[in-house]
Amino acid sequence: MANNKQYWAGLEELHETQEFKKASENEFISDPKSVDEFLTDSATSDSSPDRRDFLKFLGFGVTAATIAACETPVIKSIPYTNKPETITPGVPNYYASTYYDGLDYGGVLVKTREGRPIFIKPNKASGQVLNARINASVLSLYDSTRLRGPLQNGTPVSWDELDQELGSKLKAANGSIVLLTGSVISPSTKAVFRKFEKAYGTDKVKFVSYDALSQNAIRKANERTFGKSMIPDYDFSKAKVIVSVAADFMNDWLLHTQNTAQYIKTRRPDGDWMSRHYQFETALSLTGTNADERGAIKPSDEGRVLVALHNEIAKMTGGASVSINTDGLPNELIAKAAKDLYTNRGDSLLVAGCNDTDLQVVTNGINRMLGNYGTTISTDTELFIKGGNDAEMKKLVDDMNAGNVGALLVLGTNPAYTYPDSDAFKSGLEKVATTVSFASWNDETASLCGFVCPDHHYLESWNDFYPKTGNYALAQPTISPLYDTRQAQDSLLKWSGEEEVYSDFMKGVWRNYAGEMGGDEILFEDFWFNALRRGFVNIDVPSGVGIGEFNSDALGAAAGRIAGRKAAGDGFEVVLYTKVGIGEGTQPVNPWLQELPDPITKITWDNYIAMNPADAEQYGFKMHYGQELPASVARLTIGAMSVELPVIAQPGQKRGTVSVALGYGRGGNQEEVGRAAFRTKPYGGHALDDNGNKMPIGANVYPMVALGKDGMVYYAEGANIEDAGRTFEIASTQTQHTLMGRTSVVKETDLNTYKNGDVKEYNPPYVLPVHEGGKVINKPVQDVDLWAEHPVAGVGHRWGMSIDLSTCTGCSACVTACHSENNVPVVGKDEVRRGRDMHWMRIDRYYSSDMNMERGEEEGKGVIGTYREMEVPQYDNPKTIHMPMMCQHCNHAPCETVCPVAATTHSNEGLNQMTYNRCIGTRYCANNCPYKVRRFNWFNYKAYDKFTEVNPSQDEMARMVLNPDVTVRARGVMEKCSLCVQRIQGGKLEAKLKGKPINDGAVQTACAEACPTNAITFGDLNDTKSLVLQGHKDKRAYYALEDVGTKPNISYKVKVRNT
Amino acid sequence: MHKEAAIRTPLILGDKTYHDITSDVVGPIEGKASKTWYLLITVAGIIALWGLGCVVYLISTGIGVWGLNKTVGWAWDITNFVWWVGIGHAGTLISAVLLLFRQKWRMAINRSAEAMTIFAVMMAALFPGIHMGRIWVAYWVLPLPNTFGSLWVNFNSPLLWDVFAISTYFTVSLVFWYIGLIPDFATIRDRMTTPISKKIYGLLSFGWSGKAKQWTRFEEVSLVLAGLATPLVFSVHSIVSFDFATSVIPGWHTTIFPPYFVSGAVFSGFAMVLTLLLIMRKVMGFENYITVKHVEYMNIVIIVTGSIVGVAYITELFMSWYSGVEYESYAFINRFSGPYMWSYWTMMTCNVLSPQLFWFKKLRTNLTFTFIISIVVNIGMWFERFVIIVTSIHRDYVPSSWSMFYPTWVDVGIFVGTIGIFFTLFLMFARFFPVLALNELKTILKVSGEKYKKEDH
Repeated sequence: MANNKQYWAGLEELHETQEFKKASENEFISDPKSVDEFLTDSATSDSSPDRRDFLKFLGFGVTAATIAACETPVIKSIPYTNKPETITPGVPNYYASTYYDGLDYGGVLVKTREGRPIFIKPNKASGQVLNARINASVLSLYDSTRLRGPLQNGTPVSWDELDQELGSKLKAANGSIVLLTGSVISPSTKAVFRKFEKAYGTDKVKFVSYDALSQNAIRKANERTFGKSMIPDYDFSKAKVIVSVAADFMNDWLLHTQNTAQYIKTRRPDGDWMSRHYQFETALSLTGTNADERGAIKPSDEGRVLVALHNEIAKMTGGASVSINTDGLPNELIAKAAKDLYTNRGDSLLVAGCNDTDLQVVTNGINRMLGNYGTTISTDTELFIKGGNDAEMKKLVDDMNAGNVGALLVLGTNPAYTYPDSDAFKSGLEKVATTVSFASWNDETASLCGFVCPDHHYLESWNDFYPKTGNYALAQPTISPLYDTRQAQDSLLKWSGEEEVYSDFMKGVWRNYAGEMGGDEILFEDFWFNALRRGFVNIDVPSGVGIGEFNSDALGAAAGRIAGRKAAGDGFEVVLYTKVGIGEGTQPVNPWLQELPDPITKITWDNYIAMNPADAEQYGFKMHYGQELPASVARLTIGAMSVELPVIAQPGQKRGTVSVALGYGRGGNQEEVGRAAFRTKPYGGHALDDNGNKMPIGANVYPMVALGKDGMVYYAEGANIEDAGRTFEIASTQTQHTLMGRTSVVKETDLNTYKNGDVKEYNPPYVLPVHEGGKVINKPVQDVDLWAEHPVAGVGHRWGMSIDLSTCTGCSACVTACHSENNVPVVGKDEVRRGRDMHWMRIDRYYSSDMNMERGEEEGKGVIGTYREMEVPQYDNPKTIHMPMMCQHCNHAPCETVCPVAATTHSNEGLNQMTYNRCIGTRYCANNCPYKVRRFNWFNYKAYDKFTEVNPSQDEMARMVLNPDVTVRARGVMEKCSLCVQRIQGGKLEAKLKGKPINDGAVQTACAEACPTNAITFGDLNDTKSLVLQGHKDKRAYYALEDVGTKPNISYKVKVRNT
Repeated sequence: MHKEAAIRTPLILGDKTYHDITSDVVGPIEGKASKTWYLLITVAGIIALWGLGCVVYLISTGIGVWGLNKTVGWAWDITNFVWWVGIGHAGTLISAVLLLFRQKWRMAINRSAEAMTIFAVMMAALFPGIHMGRIWVAYWVLPLPNTFGSLWVNFNSPLLWDVFAISTYFTVSLVFWYIGLIPDFATIRDRMTTPISKKIYGLLSFGWSGKAKQWTRFEEVSLVLAGLATPLVFSVHSIVSFDFATSVIPGWHTTIFPPYFVSGAVFSGFAMVLTLLLIMRKVMGFENYITVKHVEYMNIVIIVTGSIVGVAYITELFMSWYSGVEYESYAFINRFSGPYMWSYWTMMTCNVLSPQLFWFKKLRTNLTFTFIISIVVNIGMWFERFVIIVTSIHRDYVPSSWSMFYPTWVDVGIFVGTIGIFFTLFLMFARFFPVLALNELKTILKVSGEKYKKEDH
């Protein structure tokens, strides 16, 4: 039955012809003709080939070989034989997930193409927005320096071997088993911890967590003032007045991805009201650049500022004030801020960034005086992030050194790098018999641990999160693990003797809580599916739970202690802060983020000492830096610790202080912590020091964080700065910092003028005197035209963009999003220094200057002198403006007319399009672009040696992050912003398939999508109802460099400051 | 026959006969080359090879080996291009315009001036080629029928106009130069003794036999070509200036550019002719043909064109103020007071001040002084182009993108290399070609020769 079918090799076999029979008898042909005999014409010659035949074969052979060699080799192209249901080649899939690394938290949508995650975009419904660090996290998935499997004492082992070995060691642990983590906000992970605890004994297993950037003081302050160690949920969207004392709440303070989203709601000048934001801080932070009023203070004065604020408000409320010396504080601004806070009591918010309990107690006291609890500060919801406990961590290090710890498991944190007293931690680690790290990279801590059990990347993992009351979130894998890694929770479950894998375990946990989370236990699968699909579950929080009674004594005591503090001594005060691109530095070193210009300094690839220009001048440090203008190097000494770093003259930095970013100096002992971790030479290869070691970028200043009685202190007093007598090259994307009075680039006004003034006052139209009909009349520049209009108005689509300078915070999330979406090459420090950064999208940052043309004329400076002084930003408190700049898609594009080969042309949808394969690279278009947004491929970035260390496309793994919809450009061609034309085409196709017009907002450029504040609106200008058209018609709308007559499709909205 | 006033300074000095002219010009070709020639061509050749090496490195690695950046997309490349094209202008002006104006003094200098034109235009043409990011598709700038569909060049682009202007100019100059060479090649052919050189010069002379009919046609063709070449003198540099004048960049976008560029080109061209001829005259012993009077005439052209250029500089400055456009006015303030002010003041000194010294007859008839000024003028004219190109774009509209330009060794290497190639070609020319238009000179011997003038009295 099974074998009753018969198959024939051919018709010959079926018909059993003679030839076939003969041939089949003889499997191997006995007398094969030699090739030359076969080819030779036997009719004319029986012999072997003659000379002519030989030449024929030779000719044929050579030609055939040559032609064969021309064929493009096909390497590893594997088609789907069975198409997976969800994967259609060319069509992306999106998965909701969540990013959390201890500093950044945010709901994300992961774009995958053919099974590869390639882009991270915000899951806007989740209530959080994304920043540049989260956007760029997709690249670390493909980092080739990630561990490819578990290690034991530095050598690869199999998981089974490791489990066996480690299991027995843990059981035999002499002393406590400590699980050291960053702040864990995952309920299921915590449940796993309970299992682990149960398996190894509750008395034996201990959990310690700490944060590299600690906010422990807020919890402690709340314990003192309200009797509960917690962090309340702040609501910036309700605050009409925001006063921040050193809290960079849009970059690193608490749930900053939520803060930004809420804050910006109040910053729209067209709303009923616009918040007023005061910032008192030392270094010019991202948040500080957005403040309406900013006062520069020393970090040691933060307490006095808070008490002074308290006194001013107490005066108004009639409360008791604390006597304090207010010398040297920006008292006028404090009084103004206090008055504003008081006037808007109940609708105001004071936040403080320091990790100092007394200061946070005073902050709580002021907020309570103002009645902000229950309005801008939630009494019902609390934040669970930043759960680290500085004191417990300190005790753990002591215990380790005392030999009381039998086993240490390090999860999601890197204490050998981020712990201030890392030397003590390392020496303690040596005394722990069994050390385990779950790090995905063999980083500073992992390389010292006996066992390394690499965790999955977050895009390969299951997880859940509970960042604040009522807000549950999920993370799901978007790709099967690239390497032989195992999720840390799975490892822990395994070692606890559980059979279940973490994904099932987690589902089990959720099943138990489903009811609580608003789901139905019976319909759990539906609930689970929807939760996964959305990425989060928000439930209503019962209101009126309230927080405890306020303890007024604590406030008095804290204020008294602050007043009694010794004045800071001589020497510089040093602020240790986190940069927008690098954060805590606990992520692997990411080339996109290294290349991201810092929103404030515009410097890439480096760490530096930021110093007020006046101080720098006094020291004789270099004030300008550029391609051939290196920065001076200074030695910064605090106690026994000293670092040498370049000095940057930073306007807005408080005089007498410097600031240095944390998060640099990774891989100090040659650890593999990501590509682009080390300095490179100008012509490729890593730069090596005298001992032949690779040199980390910047210096690690975590050891400068003081471990005070109260926890970690991120500033230091009495620092010494001296000239190290050498210079260091700096790669900055912007070397001119002021606007030079060019009002047609950036327009700004204040809220009063905007609300009450005429449009001519805050958005004056640009007019040209024109000779018409025998007299001179002033005509708006839009009406003066040399060229015929493109016939795009009202026909088909006309894509455009509107950018609101009022709501752009300069956070640069759009820059990394664009980098990721458009395969923008990473070019490394040397090329950025040479002014060849490739960013299609950049944020121009301008400082105000003390000088202007009117003043110069009054003072008789002369035009040359005036212009020279206009180049100098104001030293102490410059107004800052951020201006996103990309191709303006001009309707009369200067670039289009000058290209000799018509490689850049205008599309009939209003796009200025670049045809890479037609471009011959004359660069005429770039010269003629008034906005200087065109970028030239100076080298073959994807193959030239110079970029091997920095450019992801030269890495076999990292190359997988490239967006398949966007060409990787060849050497010698021009490129620039395309308004994400691949997305436009995708959107049009989708609409066409549905047979419906494109909805407004259905097509989004990467930058508009990534913008946390919706400052960028993209859409169809021919769609009369589109948001972007409203933006263009807004009374604040203007075109950059309108007077040049380029007629851009991108408009800006006047920046409005609430001053 | 043409008659010249006796009081006019004779153009051919000494007791020259027709035969003397022939042997003076052909002599160096017949004889062995001097050691000086070998030395010079070795040095020039090495520099030329170095330059070619830099070009190979540039093409194989990428434009990034130059010092350009996102703001400054052109610098030394286009500066050198315009400089070399400008130098070329003198040759055409001398041979075409002066022919039409019947200026007899051109005859002693036109041959080498034209050779200089050809070589300078060759050097100039190198730069638009190698400055392309993808030189291997450079032919796309030609309006060729192609298989890409309806893909065509962009006739709006001044760079495309350049392609036509330069190629026409080169072709006409080459033909004009060659036609002039034919009778002289024939003379050399007739004097050659070795069969190979006889053959070569025979081929080069296209069978010229010196018949009256041939001479008539020769004269006619020369006139026609001069008529064709004359507008080219003005068009080529006008079109080159359009690269800048039609752009939107302050400092480039200027209507004064075409006449300003043309006079600048003639200015630098004459300076280069002087540099070359003063050396050649000394080395090859042509003191009797290229006389102080010739030098003085050329110096007068330099005063005139130098002054036009000076007026143009001042006009630009005035217009930048008068226009009231803030970008325009800043561009020029930045020129003379910004980070590149040193290049602006070098330009002003070399181009505006130094030629004014030629108002003194003593100075303009002093050959050493003229030689020095001729080099100074060419330095100045190089800086003029550098000032226009780099100082305009390094600080244009958006201050965030302002930057500086720093040349790399490849920038310098290629520029110096082109000077090497240029001199190599010129030395080859001096060795194998009749450097004076000997048959033309013979036509003025009896009119303007010193001896004949004396005899008339």
